[in-house]
Amino acid sequence: MTDFMEIPPGRHYMKRWYLSCMLWFFGRAIQAAARVDDGVKSEFAAMPDNFTFCLGAFPSGPYMVVGKDARGRVRYLGSCISDRTIHLHLMFKNPALLFRVFAFQESTSVANARNRLYVHGDVPQACAVVRIMDMIQVFLLPKFLAKRAVKRYPAWPLKRRTLVRAQVYVRAFAGL
Amino acid sequence: MVTPDYYEFGSRAHIIAGHGAIEQIPGLLSSMGAQNPMVITDQGVVRAGLVDILLQALDSRITVKTIQDDVPADSDLKTVHTLAGQYRKYGCNAIIALGGGSVMDTAKGVNILVSASSDNLLAFSGANALTHALNPLVAVPTTAGTGSEVTQVAVISDPDNLRKLLFTSGFLMPDAAVLDPRMTLTLPAPVTASTAMDALSHAVEACLCMGRNPLSTAHAHEAIALISHNLVPVIRQPDHKPGRLALATGAALAGMAFSNSMVGMVHTLGHAVGSVCHAAHGTCMAVLLPYGMAYNLHKTQHLLADLLLPMAGADVYARTHPAERAQKAIDWIHRMNQRLHQATAGAHAVCLRDIKNQDGKGLVPRHLLPRIAHTALGDGSIFYNPEDLDYDDCLMVLEAAFDGALLDLSRVKKG
Repeated sequence: MTDFMEIPPGRHYMKRWYLSCMLWFFGRAIQAAARVDDGVKSEFAAMPDNFTFCLGAFPSGPYMVVGKDARGRVRYLGSCISDRTIHLHLMFKNPALLFRVFAFQESTSVANARNRLYVHGDVPQACAVVRIMDMIQVFLLPKFLAKRAVKRYPAWPLKRRTLVRAQVYVRAFAGL
Repeated sequence: MVTPDYYEFGSRAHIIAGHGAIEQIPGLLSSMGAQNPMVITDQGVVRAGLVDILLQALDSRITVKTIQDDVPADSDLKTVHTLAGQYRKYGCNAIIALGGGSVMDTAKGVNILVSASSDNLLAFSGANALTHALNPLVAVPTTAGTGSEVTQVAVISDPDNLRKLLFTSGFLMPDAAVLDPRMTLTLPAPVTASTAMDALSHAVEACLCMGRNPLSTAHAHEAIALISHNLVPVIRQPDHKPGRLALATGAALAGMAFSNSMVGMVHTLGHAVGSVCHAAHGTCMAVLLPYGMAYNLHKTQHLLADLLLPMAGADVYARTHPAERAQKAIDWIHRMNQRLHQATAGAHAVCLRDIKNQDGKGLVPRHLLPRIAHTALGDGSIFYNPEDLDYDDCLMVLEAAFDGALLDLSRVKKG
């Protein structure tokens, strides 16, 4: 074989930075909503203690890790998956496909239907995590964007749409 | 049909279909270098004399090492592990699965263990956990319904944890599917009806759900036509071989379609009814199919309207106003259930309340509907349904299906 110049794969640094920021805030929002929202609380209540799941992209991230500890408290555990046991992986085939979801070009359910998303772990728990993700997207996004991200925009009561949403935002920024 | 901007479709199943198809099995196995198969089947198949027909079709090239005929109606982990031990004990190098969905899913589970030299099936559950090709597996369906002979899916019960484990991998596709009408001639009318309605539900959901694509829809439309035009005639004349072959072909086509597009809420709720109440899968599908179609009507009206053509034929389709075709397709399924109910002397259930065991005792009591609705929320097929489903939605549909009442479409939430 003749010598050839090795061409390193290109990297989309801005997309990766954007995804890392979104996953960081999304993870903290899950932690916040698990404290203040009954819907998210009840989904986590059905999960076992010491349960950890991650959302990310093959082959090397970025990732978001969220766990429920031995006392039942839900915590955002950062972006590193190598130093802990993860019970449920929700992994997109590559970062570009994860970007489509977090840029609101495609909903999680459409991504799943188009085989863009691998689920490794318990299916009922994966269903619960997707429902949590849908609720977080409704909390965080304006209605016109959230309608693109979820199958059905929910008719929540006023308190949940305003007070609880504000609490989720404040706690997510503050890391509470 | 709007073509999705991306889709995947795969079906490498080798299908041998027709009168005398099982006589091709020796040649098939020989070409795969597998002369020592294990036959996996169940007691019903043995009593129907189908194992004898199979053995007569096998010639001197094939030595059946063992026949395992104790597969239960709901394939489970214990059975799979036991049969894997028998496979190794007798030195088999292939599997012939002769039976319905439970037998074929059990055979797939056994094949995972013996091919991977493992004793832990749980390690392979979920999507794409298999990384290597499996040993030769020939599927001979004795019902026309499950489609498992051409799917890359296996569902196996974990009774200790009251759940059903899903295995999906391209490697789970049998090496050959042998569709011989002799294998379904003795099927009782109620089982013929419920299994064919199971296949119809695969085809209909393949057309409606989020993973649909032009190739799966093409397979599904042909499946709907074959099943719709042949089911009632076969119930009335059970030894009608061309009709039996048409149903088997329809079930295989539906299997190919849903294996690629996946299924939605009819299976979401049906799996839950099956796991909570141990009701037969095909019966649950028959009852729930029109309710799933009605629930998704506002999101899939154009797709449902297209189904009227393969279901009811060109005359009915042409006579029906385009705006009414979707509702007519739903009504057609309700009517088909009624016709099957009459043709089977009431044995085919038209509502959940009617589902009974062999002693005539109701299997789905009303007080279990909330538990069924809760269980349904953990079924993976819920992802693929066009409209979202929460606990209240599941319960609303189950309550309507329990009484056989029409679904109140004004209560379906639209976001």
